[in-house]
Amino acid sequence: MSNPFDINGGACVAMVGKDCVAIACDLRLGMQSLTISNNFPKIFNYAPSTYLGLTGLATDVNTVSDLFRYKVNMYRLREERDIAPQTLANLVSSSLYEKRFGPYFVSPVIAGINPTTGKPFICGFDSIGCIDFAKDFIVSGTASDQLFGTCEGLWEPDLAPEDLFETISQALLSAVDRDALSGWGAQVYIIEKDKVTQRLLKGRQD
Amino acid sequence: MEVLLGIAGKDFVILAASKAAMRGPTVLKAEDDKTRQLNKHTVMAFSGESGDTVQFAEYIQANAALYSMRNDTELSPSAVANFVRGELARSLRSRSPYTVNLLLGGIDPVTEKPHLYWVDYLASLAPLPYAAHGYAQYYCLSILDKHHHPDCSLEEGLALLTLCTDELKRRLPIDYKGMLVKVVTKDGVREIPVDNDKVVRSA
Amino acid sequence: MPGFDFTNYNRNAALHAKGVPLPKATSTGTTIVGCIYDKGVVIAADTRATSGPIVADKNCEKLHYIAPKIWCAGAGTAADTEFTTALISSNVELHSLSTGRDPRVITCMTMLKQHLFRYQGHIGAYLVVAGVDPTGTGLYTVHAHGSTDKLPYVTMGSGSLAAMSVFESTWQPDLDRQGAIDICAEAIKAGIFNDLGSGSNVDVCVIEKDQPTQLLRNYMKPNDRPQKERNYRFPRGTTAYLDQRVISKEDMKKYVTIETLSGDDKITTGDSMEVDT
Repeated sequence: MSNPFDINGGACVAMVGKDCVAIACDLRLGMQSLTISNNFPKIFNYAPSTYLGLTGLATDVNTVSDLFRYKVNMYRLREERDIAPQTLANLVSSSLYEKRFGPYFVSPVIAGINPTTGKPFICGFDSIGCIDFAKDFIVSGTASDQLFGTCEGLWEPDLAPEDLFETISQALLSAVDRDALSGWGAQVYIIEKDKVTQRLLKGRQD
Repeated sequence: MEVLLGIAGKDFVILAASKAAMRGPTVLKAEDDKTRQLNKHTVMAFSGESGDTVQFAEYIQANAALYSMRNDTELSPSAVANFVRGELARSLRSRSPYTVNLLLGGIDPVTEKPHLYWVDYLASLAPLPYAAHGYAQYYCLSILDKHHHPDCSLEEGLALLTLCTDELKRRLPIDYKGMLVKVVTKDGVREIPVDNDKVVRSA
Repeated sequence: MPGFDFTNYNRNAALHAKGVPLPKATSTGTTIVGCIYDKGVVIAADTRATSGPIVADKNCEKLHYIAPKIWCAGAGTAADTEFTTALISSNVELHSLSTGRDPRVITCMTMLKQHLFRYQGHIGAYLVVAGVDPTGTGLYTVHAHGSTDKLPYVTMGSGSLAAMSVFESTWQPDLDRQGAIDICAEAIKAGIFNDLGSGSNVDVCVIEKDQPTQLLRNYMKPNDRPQKERNYRFPRGTTAYLDQRVISKEDMKKYVTIETLSGDDKITTGDSMEVDT
């Protein structure tokens, strides 16, 4: 049996721009080489400007996204406010480390804007909850090696929302075209202080 | 070599399951029913490890019935699908997990929109316009890719199903003893009689 | 003590038995060092985090806070060093609160080794613990299986051999503060340039009696990347999209009902809570 991270395929990337962040994912769900669905989004929304991307084993993507929906709903009821991306990052980290010796096979990515400070925030995790705070970009999924390459080449600081959209879209589309297990369309979120733009990209269908 | 097919159209969902109950190369039964009705507007088809399949399906069926009795209302297809996935994911983390692949079809009683869900034995859940499990995936998904459209009528849907079953008869090396076809519309679930004796010649 | 949840363990053990490899955790294939001097102690670390051969983070933090005057440098599984030090930090704080004394380095080292020994090396944290306390200066190494050392200068991680060569050739007794910082930074640089698992920048932490602890983040940046001379910025409109949905703050409010209560005096209100400062 193969690596659980590579059974279903998928890719996710987050980037920081000037007063904005972007997060994007592909839409494929597969079982090894057979594609089951080309409409399987991997980005989930937990507050007006807090988004979580999950790649890895599809069953754990489902389980973990449901688990955090429950935990964030409980947080909102208790605190009577929306969860900040930094808070969600610590929630994700401790929830994953709780399962240190029997982990969920997922690689989460967070992108958002802090509702009080207005500052952009992104971070990524390994499957046992080690946080990677990056000031530039975060990648995950079966195309992560390719994404590291495209992002390292295309990303630059202080991109405006419109330019950030072009950069993240081209970085993702180029990367998934070199990964057999990812692609089949993409979804991009551009998160600004008081506006979120969701776009659907057409990708190669092979 | 069990066959499970699902097609959602404009106002209906078709679920089809092969009628052969097999154990290794032996056909034990030719009139097996691999479907269970969960409530008025939802039906589930299953394949996988024999024993696990019926046990799991009837456990779900009982719980769906219990919910309907307690609350005097029915769970929507999406609610049932997420419940089924949750139970399968829970069992996956136990010492002896159920090995069951599922297709779940239903009409939302409020919106009257059709829903088809694909769930595999790892408890991955995906909503799809058409779906298959087992070897049928390799033969039928390409046909469905080409001919399916979301607005298709029941007649077109059944014609599409025939296209798929014909291909299976042509290419599968064993006789799966024909298909049991169930259709869900806003009026409920009914079985559609199909001509399983049609002979399809191989090329 | 932490409650690990083993619900997925059986599933994953069954998968592993069928030949599924274990997940790749971020590890700090690392160079970390520590060195005492006349009035205190210095610890230092590189800032590269790796996942297999991939550099996962080019500027991560491997110097962890335990108490104001006790700090820790971590190598091994990144999540384990992060959470183990956070756990011990909490317990040290509670301990010093209940005893009314400043925490000691040896207490902290003992708590770490007992925790790690209990998990028989499965928690992959390799640590350098350093600090000053009422008994003097402390510098220890703690291995994942629970063994410890007490030495005047120490190195750990995959770059420990390169770093140790610097100490063995240039260390001398009676170093002063700057001398200790210099030799530690030089040892980390030896790791950065000679060990593939280590890289990027040098972080330094200086702990001295009667002085505030100094965390010198990115004390040296020997691998700074200059700004690109040209860019690959795409003209706007390069990427075609099939569909777009704009969600504005106004739209978000549509899904929330806001009810203003009448200013009835009988309703008592608590002080407003300050949040997210």
